[in-house]
Amino acid sequence: MRKSFYPKMAWSGISHNRKLYIPYFFTCIAMVMMFYIIDALSVSSVLVRIRGGETMQGMLNFGKWIIGLFTLIFLFYTNSFLNKRRSREYGLYNVLGMDKRNLAHIHFWGTAIIAGISLVAGLIFGIVFSKLAELWMVNILNGQTDFKLRIEGSAIRETILVFLVIFILILLSALRKMTMASPMELLRSEHTGEKPPKGNWLLALVGVVVLAIAYGLAVTIEDPVVALAWFFAAVILVIVATYMLFIAGSVTLCRILQKNKGFYYRKQHFISIASMSYRMKRNGAGLASICVLSTMVLVMLSSTICLYAGVESIMRERYPRDLSYEVHVSAPKYLNEESEANWRQLMEETLHESHLTASDVLEYTSAFFYGKLEGQNFRMKDELMDMETNESTAFDVDEVYVAPLGVYNRVTGEKETLDAGEALVAVYGGSYENNTDTLSIHNDIHFNVKKVISNFKAIHMDGAVSTKVYYIFVPDFDEVAEKLAQYNMAQYTTENMENVYFKCYYGCNLDGSDDAQMAAEGILNNKFAALNASQQEGIDYVSYESYAFNKESFYGTFGGLLVLGILLGIVFVFAAILIMYYKQVTEGYEDQSGFVVMQKVGMTKKDIRQSINSQILIVFFAPLLLAGLHLLFAFPMISKLLLLFGLNRTQFLAMVALGCYLMFAVCYIIVYKMTSGVYYRIVSVNNK
Amino acid sequence: MSILEVKGLKKTYTTRFGGNQVQALKNVSFSVEEGEYVAIMGESGSGKTTLLNILAALDKPTGGTVLLDGRNLADIKETAMAEFRRDNLGFVFQDFNLLDTFSLEDNIYLPLVLAGKNYREMHKRLEPIAKQLGITQLLKKYPYEVSGGQKQRAAVARALITHPKLIFADEPTGALDSKSSDELLDLFSAINQDKQTIVMVTHSVKAASHAGRVLFIKDGEVFHQIYKGHHTRQELYQKISDTLTLLTTGGDRA
Repeated sequence: MRKSFYPKMAWSGISHNRKLYIPYFFTCIAMVMMFYIIDALSVSSVLVRIRGGETMQGMLNFGKWIIGLFTLIFLFYTNSFLNKRRSREYGLYNVLGMDKRNLAHIHFWGTAIIAGISLVAGLIFGIVFSKLAELWMVNILNGQTDFKLRIEGSAIRETILVFLVIFILILLSALRKMTMASPMELLRSEHTGEKPPKGNWLLALVGVVVLAIAYGLAVTIEDPVVALAWFFAAVILVIVATYMLFIAGSVTLCRILQKNKGFYYRKQHFISIASMSYRMKRNGAGLASICVLSTMVLVMLSSTICLYAGVESIMRERYPRDLSYEVHVSAPKYLNEESEANWRQLMEETLHESHLTASDVLEYTSAFFYGKLEGQNFRMKDELMDMETNESTAFDVDEVYVAPLGVYNRVTGEKETLDAGEALVAVYGGSYENNTDTLSIHNDIHFNVKKVISNFKAIHMDGAVSTKVYYIFVPDFDEVAEKLAQYNMAQYTTENMENVYFKCYYGCNLDGSDDAQMAAEGILNNKFAALNASQQEGIDYVSYESYAFNKESFYGTFGGLLVLGILLGIVFVFAAILIMYYKQVTEGYEDQSGFVVMQKVGMTKKDIRQSINSQILIVFFAPLLLAGLHLLFAFPMISKLLLLFGLNRTQFLAMVALGCYLMFAVCYIIVYKMTSGVYYRIVSVNNK
Repeated sequence: MSILEVKGLKKTYTTRFGGNQVQALKNVSFSVEEGEYVAIMGESGSGKTTLLNILAALDKPTGGTVLLDGRNLADIKETAMAEFRRDNLGFVFQDFNLLDTFSLEDNIYLPLVLAGKNYREMHKRLEPIAKQLGITQLLKKYPYEVSGGQKQRAAVARALITHPKLIFADEPTGALDSKSSDELLDLFSAINQDKQTIVMVTHSVKAASHAGRVLFIKDGEVFHQIYKGHHTRQELYQKISDTLTLLTTGGDRA
């Protein structure tokens, strides 16, 4: 009898506060479920066996800890809310003769019940839905699996452990708060007189400035690599600014409006503004959290969806042909008809043996270096670095190819002719800004620019698409190449330190299956190895690239990002819903008495409803609107970052982001409809 | 001329699960003249609060009529009722009913803001009232910063600022200490001197002894009434006490 007393008290406490606890249970269960699913997938033996699966699992493993940390913070927040609402009850028990130790027992059993139910239910749902998630992931990776339900023991153990730690921490903090309060404080904690909120001008101003800086950063940064470096700084600035604006800015704004007597003392504004300042003081942090979470969901979803949907185009940017080789030689003299034919022969043999047919053949020789166009002169990377103590500037160097005019005519099908000393300049990913008539490399090799082609697309060579690529087509390639080689030799004695690379590229599209293509790459590899062994002179090294081979690891990476984006998105949406729900419930209880008073002093129900409606609308939709603004300003930065991955589709990203925002807004409005009903029911209880 | 006329007022509550009917008011009739100060007394459960709620148009009677300044409350539409109440009636409650979110000044302005008055006029009206009630220095403070007596004076100012025809006070001294109670009752007397009609519900003999007339309610009916007439406050106090004793010991109508 005595033994079962505390569990019974705890259980009746929970079931009497159903309205508060049911959403809490749902959230706990959902969090356990998500954690288990992600954990189970990250150790799943099915995924390991699929190509790209391991990359994905690495990401999930990382995501798992993000969710764990987030759950801790989030459950702490909601739990403190629950305890505050129930402190009156505890105070009453205390007055009626229970001491703090008895209360601690009730707390303990309450937490134990919640932990038990949410772990059991969460794990059951987790096991069921992890199968679904597995099928989905396998589908993303283009792999295969069976329909057997798998239970990952280690994931179960880890989930239980993590959540037990979380629940114990929550219990400890609740106990600490309880032991410090006196019974009367417990009884009254809901109704302590509240000071009128003071607008903190300084904090509000700082918030505006910080946000402006963050937005400024996002809009002005041009270079993707710089964008990556500053992205996290900008994110942190935006988060800080959001909290400052919601906590201090909103109250300050209300205060400014209250100072304007003509505006403030009007029926439509009077009550709304005064109660808004209190509402914002109480809910500023909660609203800011909703705003930050929403923004994260939106940014994550739109960028990952974009990346995943753009895998094909990213792949094609990076690997323009299905199968290719690139032979790097130590000097331009090794790039000659004879050896090129030898190499081509190896490829043809390979394709023949693999029963594959080549199409869209692209073949060219070139001299390549990293450089920066200054005025009408290209400076080379090393030259630039010397000036600045071997650092920086590497960010914004471009790629420069010098190639025979014949290559241009072959790929474009045109019949351009140039005289000696003339050049045709084509630019990929930009335009030839300086537009000078003459061009030089290292102030040494001079050309007369005969023709300029901007946004040249006929060839794109491998490498980072994020930087601009210049092609200088010359009629007398051998001579120019020789000069570049001399420059190389003059600058550096060891060949490893060279600035200019001489290479021959051959790539083609194939008609066979992915497996056949990957096999062909292996054969090609062997043939070049054999050639090297029989020492063909001058070959530095050969690189091979198979589209089919790389596709799977790309799908692994981007699929992993997408899965993580969606799973985290779901978790954040859950959190946002729960915060909103509790916010409405708290505000309902807080506004109850005010509602009655207003009616007694002569406000009609309609007036009150209107005033409350407008307040709720503002409170509810301010985070959504600010999240939209954040997304808008994050947009340039996201599109730059995607450029780093090789995705150059701004319009597509804009559409995805807009779509995500609209979808999110619809969810938000549904939640609003659901939770505002709860609010009105609480408010109108005493109101017959 | 009567400012308030109550005829044959009935109010019956039906308990939630049907069946039992509770008669809160059986048959209440009385009238209040302009400039009068009337106290309504009765034990808990005698129907005082029900009566006040009906007079204040917060509740509807089952039968009978209430005429305020010649207008039948039953004829006023639901939608116009809040406005009517705001323009014609002032309220002082036991628990003050000030909004925590407003300073005392803004609390006092509330009915005028709702009536669409501009700031300059509100301010002009407030000055003399605040001076009379002695709260000029407190106007910028918030309810949580001032004492109960000060809160109640702000609530009185809120009731007065609309220049209502009638002020209803529901146990205005109920939550105050004796010093604050005395101050408030003196204030009511002073306001009444200025021709303000006041109807006060109370079960404090002391509070009632400030009124010009005391109505006693028992079991939903007006049981008895006492006029102050030429009596001193002490004499009235004694008469009220005697009547209450009679009421509780179960005597019939005197």
